[in-house]
Amino acid sequence: MADRMKNNKISIFYKLQIFLAFAAVAAVLLPVFLNDSHWPVFARDYLEANGEEQTGAANIVSSIYLGYRAYDTLGETIVLLVAVSGTIGIISFTGKNLATGYNEDDFEGGNRKNRKRTVLMEVVTGKLGPVILIFGLYVMLFGHMSPGGGFQGGVVIASGIIFISLGTGGSENNILSHSGVLAKIEAVSFLLLVLASAIGLITGIGFFANPFNGNPIPPVGYIILLNAMIGLKVGAGIAYMSVAMLGDTDL
Amino acid sequence: MQNILIHSAEFVFAPVLLPLLGAAIVFCAKAFSRGRIAKTIEYTGAAIGLLLPWLMLFIILPNLLGGSVYEGTIGGWDKNLGILYKFDGLAWLVNFLGFSVAMAAWFYSLGAGPRGPKFTAIFLIQTAALSATIMTADLFNLFVCLEVLGISSYVLVCSSEKPGAFLASFSYLMVSAAAMIFFLVGIYGLYRLTGKLSYEGIAEALAAMDNGGGITALISLALIIAAVALRVAVMPLYGWLPDAHAMAPHAVSAVLSGVLIKTPLFALSRILIIFPAGSDAGQLMGVSGGLTALIAVIIALSQKDVKKLLAYHSVSQIGYIVCAWGAALHIGVETPAGLVLMTAAFLHALYHALFKGTLFLTVGTLIDRAGNRSVYELRRGAGILKKSGEKIPVTFISFMLAAMAIAAIPPLNGYVSKNALSYALKGRWEYVVLTLASVGTVASFIKLSLIFFPPGKNHNAIAFLENPQKVHPAMKAAELFLAILCLAGGLFSPYISKIAGSLLNQSGTVGINSIPPDLYSGGNLQKTLIITLSGAAVYLLCSTKQGKAVLKRIRERPRSFSGLFTSFALGLAGMAAWLIYRTFN
Amino acid sequence: MIDRILLLILFLIGFYGIIVKKNVIKKIFGLTILNSTIVMLFVLEGSKIGSHVPILEENITPIVDPVPQALMLTAIVIGVCVTALALSIVYRLFNSTGTFDIDEIRSKLYKDEE
Repeated sequence: MADRMKNNKISIFYKLQIFLAFAAVAAVLLPVFLNDSHWPVFARDYLEANGEEQTGAANIVSSIYLGYRAYDTLGETIVLLVAVSGTIGIISFTGKNLATGYNEDDFEGGNRKNRKRTVLMEVVTGKLGPVILIFGLYVMLFGHMSPGGGFQGGVVIASGIIFISLGTGGSENNILSHSGVLAKIEAVSFLLLVLASAIGLITGIGFFANPFNGNPIPPVGYIILLNAMIGLKVGAGIAYMSVAMLGDTDL
Repeated sequence: MQNILIHSAEFVFAPVLLPLLGAAIVFCAKAFSRGRIAKTIEYTGAAIGLLLPWLMLFIILPNLLGGSVYEGTIGGWDKNLGILYKFDGLAWLVNFLGFSVAMAAWFYSLGAGPRGPKFTAIFLIQTAALSATIMTADLFNLFVCLEVLGISSYVLVCSSEKPGAFLASFSYLMVSAAAMIFFLVGIYGLYRLTGKLSYEGIAEALAAMDNGGGITALISLALIIAAVALRVAVMPLYGWLPDAHAMAPHAVSAVLSGVLIKTPLFALSRILIIFPAGSDAGQLMGVSGGLTALIAVIIALSQKDVKKLLAYHSVSQIGYIVCAWGAALHIGVETPAGLVLMTAAFLHALYHALFKGTLFLTVGTLIDRAGNRSVYELRRGAGILKKSGEKIPVTFISFMLAAMAIAAIPPLNGYVSKNALSYALKGRWEYVVLTLASVGTVASFIKLSLIFFPPGKNHNAIAFLENPQKVHPAMKAAELFLAILCLAGGLFSPYISKIAGSLLNQSGTVGINSIPPDLYSGGNLQKTLIITLSGAAVYLLCSTKQGKAVLKRIRERPRSFSGLFTSFALGLAGMAAWLIYRTFN
Repeated sequence: MIDRILLLILFLIGFYGIIVKKNVIKKIFGLTILNSTIVMLFVLEGSKIGSHVPILEENITPIVDPVPQALMLTAIVIGVCVTALALSIVYRLFNSTGTFDIDEIRSKLYKDEE
């Protein structure tokens, strides 16, 4: 009885605590969400007038995230790199500290590999994989003039690689979905990205400055270059993470 | 070649780019080669990332001392759209702090683990993010930098492979990722009002409005401050820190406690200096800093786990720093008094990084050798270390130096920086609170130091590992390096304080020195003696039966996952309400 | 106005998920909802000053504000990364404790340390 009373007491305290947190968040956010001031047009007008001329990209969103604010994009790529590398490190380290009965391989239906493969899926994914890869390359390389770009294209490429690995009966059967190859592509494209950001330092025009000025390569070349490197890095990284989660390889 | 010299200003990005380059090289080494070659390339990458930036830091030091500031837009775009950066004395000092601890900690990890290219690469990325955070002058870029800093530290905390570390990392991840979304809401509010993202652009646009942005601007500022203050771990937002810092590998703990909680604080001061409401925000944070210093040291005194004790001490010491930092912002960093406070805050941040780094490394070495981490059970630490092959007791000596430094025994660096804080805060209520906190610090370090000495009469002996692992020379070198810096920081403090003062001083008033002129006067030494004696008295009081019962209650107070979010929400609401109250009254 | 109120409610739902739900996976869902809310808020509000996508061609003026879209690209990628990392940590927590309940995980992992 006393125990129950104690529980009751705790739960009232707990409810009060939750209620307070909610009230505080709602009260703080309400004025910000309800603010009705007119959305600023300065940046839009400036970019509409000068964006394409200064960066060469018709897609103004691309011109911002690979031109005006490319440094943010470098940071974003690094977040992805750390997340991929950390996730693989964390999930591939199994076998230690397992609670009894909670090892994945103990469940019914055999090991992970068998559970995921059916003939239907192998045929469909195997045929679709290359098509998706080509689409991904298109999205990646035409990001400066159409919706898309390195991140979006990279994710599509990654799904193409996952399809190929599902379709060929194991990710180690195809060179594109081989975990070692993916790791190499990711590492090299990250190195190239860091070097590309520093081209301006070596040629003396400044960090992250566009080194192409029209002779012979037009300025948009820098955006395409960055898009390609980010696309390869993201594609290889996410595919690597997914292949690791499929559990075909010993990482 | 001439181009390079002309644009040497852009080389302030070296502390960001070189560690990134190092990390990229290490990743390549991991992907392409195995064995000895991979190891060689990995060490080369680490050297590029951790040693080469020093070269740049010393090249530009004379210019910064001469009063010049490197600032501009990354990529040379229009300053309303591009990302602004600012490399001034403050950025130099924080870089100095970050690279000295990071270098020693990485060196330590060579001996103690976690080893391997993945750890090195993520460690380098974290170091790069530290420099990037302190030199950015753009709100959204600050968001990205804090996320890089955060995600690399979640992974590094996990790398100790203890199940408890995963829970600690999960709590840290959830609460700080949620806080970063509140940060984004703050960016939304300010962007909606002004259309700018750089600190200066936002402040100018707000100043041009007739009501200064009104409530929305104040709440947005409060959202940003709360999200950054969570990373700094002041009251009441400190809940995630003790677990994360205690569970991380020792080398990572040293960096997390030494550097990671201070960088966002100094980055935040860039924002608060510019905004008119920043001085009020500084006042409230100063108050919470003072309370943090006192409350956290009481909790620290109650801890059983040695690393948790150290982690709570980090919370307490960051309270000292935030207290002086907030008071400086309240007075205004341009005024001489504000400058003295800010210099004292930075000195304590630097010195705390050095002695807390040493403490985490030495205590970590001992608990790995002993296989036990309880303050009450572990004894005879010096003997255990001798058994594991330390002929000269480097670890023991380094520990004692650092413990005496944190307890403010002259002539070590802690004595200097705590006196500088007292001198700057003299006559205010914070002075009393911080003095009380110092008594608690002394008491808890008497408690901690006992793990190195033989047990008393009534102590129950416990079994230790039969054959303790050898202490790797790299570990000893790292410990000794930091401990010597502690000593040097105390002996050469007048010079260090002078350099720090003139780097932080941008308005040109000369002759700021935050070190009290009567540092070793009879009065100060007497005060230290009284604090030390009362610390010992508090310790004796705590080791009585009643004292132990009280400490047990404090230690086993209810802590829950949802409590982290409740305290964040309440802290946020408190900050918003305070800013609105001050502005409209 | 009504759309922003709905977004605020969505935000509070996400916050509810994080703070009240005991299941760690649902907590991560809550975080994802919070992230999506702020992305929608930025993009929705930024699109109110124009009517065309920000890809310049003949006769498409006014375009929407492209800056929020570019910022949110970054925020989305960061959100996905944090979610992936959180899920992998939860996988390990489940492996070592056999439960998804946060209180049980805490009591199982910290029982010998408190």
